[in-house]
Amino acid sequence: MMADVLTIDHLQKKFGKFEALKNISFSIHQGEVFGFIGPNGAGKSTTIRTLLGILKPTAGTATIFGEDAWAEAVGIHKRIAYVPGDVYLWPNLTGGEVIDFLLRLNGEAHSEKTDALIKKFDLDPTKKARTYSKGNRQKVALIAAFSSDAELYIFDEPTSGLDPLMEEVFQEEVLALKAAGKSVLLSSHILSEVERMCDRIAIIRQGEIIEIGSLQAMQQLSRSTVHVATTQDLSAIKQLPAVHQFTAKSATQATFSVDADQLGAVMTALTPLGITQLQSTPPTLEDLFLRYYNQEGDGHEQQ
Amino acid sequence: MNSSKAQNTLALTKLNLRHDWLKIVLWILGLAGLMAVAAAKFGGIYGTQKAMNTIAETLRTPAMVSLLGPFTATKPYTTAMIYGSEMMVFMGLFAAMMNLYFAVHATRAQEDTGTSELLLAHAVGRQSPLLAAIAELAIINVAAGVIEALGLQAANMPGADAAGNWLFGLGLAAFGFMFGTFALLFSQVVSNARSATILSYSWLGILFVARMGADIQDPDLTWWTIFGWIEKMELYTNNVWTPLALMLGMSVIVLAVTIALAASRDIGAGLITPRAGRARASRFLQGPLSLLARLERTSTWIWLIGMFLLGVSYGSIFGTVGDLAKANPTLSKLLGGAGTDAANKAIILAMANKLAIIFVVVATIPALLTILRLNNDEKKGYLELQHAAPISRLRLFASFAGHGLVVGSLSFLLALVGMVVAGASSATVTISAARYLRGFVGFWPALLVVCGIGALLVGLLPRLQSLVWILPIYGVISLYLGPLLDFPTWATRLTPYGWVNEVPVKAIQWAPVGWMTALACVLFVLGYLAYRRRDLTMN
Ligand SMILES: Nc1ncnc2c1ncn2[C@@H]1O[C@H](COP(=O)(O)OP(=O)(O)OP(=O)(O)O)[C@@H](O)[C@H]1O
Ligand SMILES: [Mg+2]
Repeated sequence: MMADVLTIDHLQKKFGKFEALKNISFSIHQGEVFGFIGPNGAGKSTTIRTLLGILKPTAGTATIFGEDAWAEAVGIHKRIAYVPGDVYLWPNLTGGEVIDFLLRLNGEAHSEKTDALIKKFDLDPTKKARTYSKGNRQKVALIAAFSSDAELYIFDEPTSGLDPLMEEVFQEEVLALKAAGKSVLLSSHILSEVERMCDRIAIIRQGEIIEIGSLQAMQQLSRSTVHVATTQDLSAIKQLPAVHQFTAKSATQATFSVDADQLGAVMTALTPLGITQLQSTPPTLEDLFLRYYNQEGDGHEQQ
Repeated sequence: MNSSKAQNTLALTKLNLRHDWLKIVLWILGLAGLMAVAAAKFGGIYGTQKAMNTIAETLRTPAMVSLLGPFTATKPYTTAMIYGSEMMVFMGLFAAMMNLYFAVHATRAQEDTGTSELLLAHAVGRQSPLLAAIAELAIINVAAGVIEALGLQAANMPGADAAGNWLFGLGLAAFGFMFGTFALLFSQVVSNARSATILSYSWLGILFVARMGADIQDPDLTWWTIFGWIEKMELYTNNVWTPLALMLGMSVIVLAVTIALAASRDIGAGLITPRAGRARASRFLQGPLSLLARLERTSTWIWLIGMFLLGVSYGSIFGTVGDLAKANPTLSKLLGGAGTDAANKAIILAMANKLAIIFVVVATIPALLTILRLNNDEKKGYLELQHAAPISRLRLFASFAGHGLVVGSLSFLLALVGMVVAGASSATVTISAARYLRGFVGFWPALLVVCGIGALLVGLLPRLQSLVWILPIYGVISLYLGPLLDFPTWATRLTPYGWVNEVPVKAIQWAPVGWMTALACVLFVLGYLAYRRRDLTMN
């Protein structure tokens, strides 16, 4: 598909014998904000480093703008911006110098937008990088990335050191990119951030993509939590195949989860019992994440 | 001192020792092994009174005094006396280097990587990391000193006595420890390991050169050079213990100052607080090469100026060195005016050869530091942002290699130029600059090959890249001490420095110059090819 800015196809990466990436495939469409989530050590940074040509794939391919990420790294890099999770800066340079330097490497220059961003992120650009906190180092990389005019922005846990105020600024900027039709790959542990901004999400665990799609689609595939109170005894509901984790507070009050596509059928069964109270909540990304994350332990019976 | 400030010092010391044990063992075995092997060989080389008289004459010449320290023994000589005066300054230099390394490593380097912060969060006293570093240095030096003394005992040189052997070993220990304390002091003053190392080595270099000048001019002045204390022990002749007491006294004073300074600063910071810098980058900062030039600016200047001054200080003693009429009036009279001039010229050129070796080896250091920096910066994560920019790996690799080569080559050239300039004004005979600079043309390809090997390791075996330091270290041992120790030819040819003929005494051999340069080019290309193919982060 030509509309995809980035395509990863059966990507594998081994470090010696250790398989950091077993089988990764996904693509990012033009103008999309793509979330990339997964537990620590799942392989998010490894995937991103492979996309940047820092690591060489063991097997499979990664293409950006239709070109091979390893072989055509230099050409691709002219059109992307990147912020790593741990930003380390040359201790002797000031933040301002690093920002200008990074912009120049991309053939761009310090602009009014850069000044605006420095102000917005509340960074003192005259301080030596040695004296910056983790969050401030991250701001330096973020300012350089946001003020450059790229087509694809790659963020690897960019907000892990930011305070909530700055996190807000970050989200505003990403939404502005989205509005401008740019594509974004965002790896993050802050699920609310992903939930709010991302069009589609991939969940990675132990080097494999285990789920991919829009949040709604994932919720569709998952279960909603239902709190219900009825006038008649509702213990029979427990027997329905679509109902799980049924806990009864009393004979007429219960909480259970329902396969999203069977919600209608369960409602039909509840209606004759005289519903007095009903609350159905779709799973949050966090619920989904925890569920996938715990899959190894008790996942199979739940499935 | 308040005990809570020193809490867990012992545990920390053990931790450091456990962490560094391999490096410590290698250093100590290297130093003690070198001494023991040399001692065992000396009996054979300088066994007869005649051989000893000849070498004693040589050791009394200003050229040798400048390199190895004065020869103060009186007849009848013993093998041990020759040994003591040939080895003392040289071993002292190595002992000091070992201590500079461990001192910075155990203090500043740990603060730079955040290890100290992690430790201090636990039940570790504020001063404990420093105290643990002091303890580690003390243990290393005592162990080294004892092993060296035992090695000398075992070698059983003719004329050596237990007092001399122990004074040598323990003297080196005290000497090394003293330089360790200097490095600890500098580590408090500046705010990172790199600056602490630069400062420590500059200090060592200044003292070494001062010692050299004092030895040539007036040995009494040598007492003021600190480094010269090691010569004043008069090993195997008078076995004077006063210098050892001086070294320990100096160490105590320096440590007291260091501990006081450490108490008054923050972890991770130096006493010199960094100033605010510029908000915008200068126009000069455009790519990886200009960035490197900017980052290395200070140390580049220190190297270039330092090497030039080193050359000047050696060149300025050419007048004394090449003055046969004064050193040996009888011989001079015998040779006549023209003959004396020719002899003087020969002495100076022979010394210029030795100096060229020293200069080229020392100039290799900044070159290799920069070439290896490519992977060191990678490890620290500084390059990750650059990797996402449109910078090819070739450009990155070439920037580090090129910068290293230019600084190394210029350092070498400036040292020789300094020697030529000062030599011209001090020497009584005239030797053309072109003649001296044969040394540059001859040895420069060796510098290239060693750097090429470094570049190959950077590309191919990044984890083992430090092994390249063996080349300059062994190079200086084999070529500086080799002739005195009667090294077989193959042993002096193990490093590229040994593939060069005796320039500027002899004419340049263009064939080795050609193929060594070609070899260096091949090594750089292979290094790049390996670098291009591999993962950049290799943690
Ligand atoms: N250079 C390397 N050599 C060996 N193993 C590595 C290397 N880089 C990463 N790994 C391993 O690969 C796995 C994936 O690491 P990666 O950094 O991609 O995880 P991540 O998903 O980014 O985790 P986090 O959320 O903690 O950032 C980890 O087990 C890590 O230890
Ligand atoms: Mg990561």
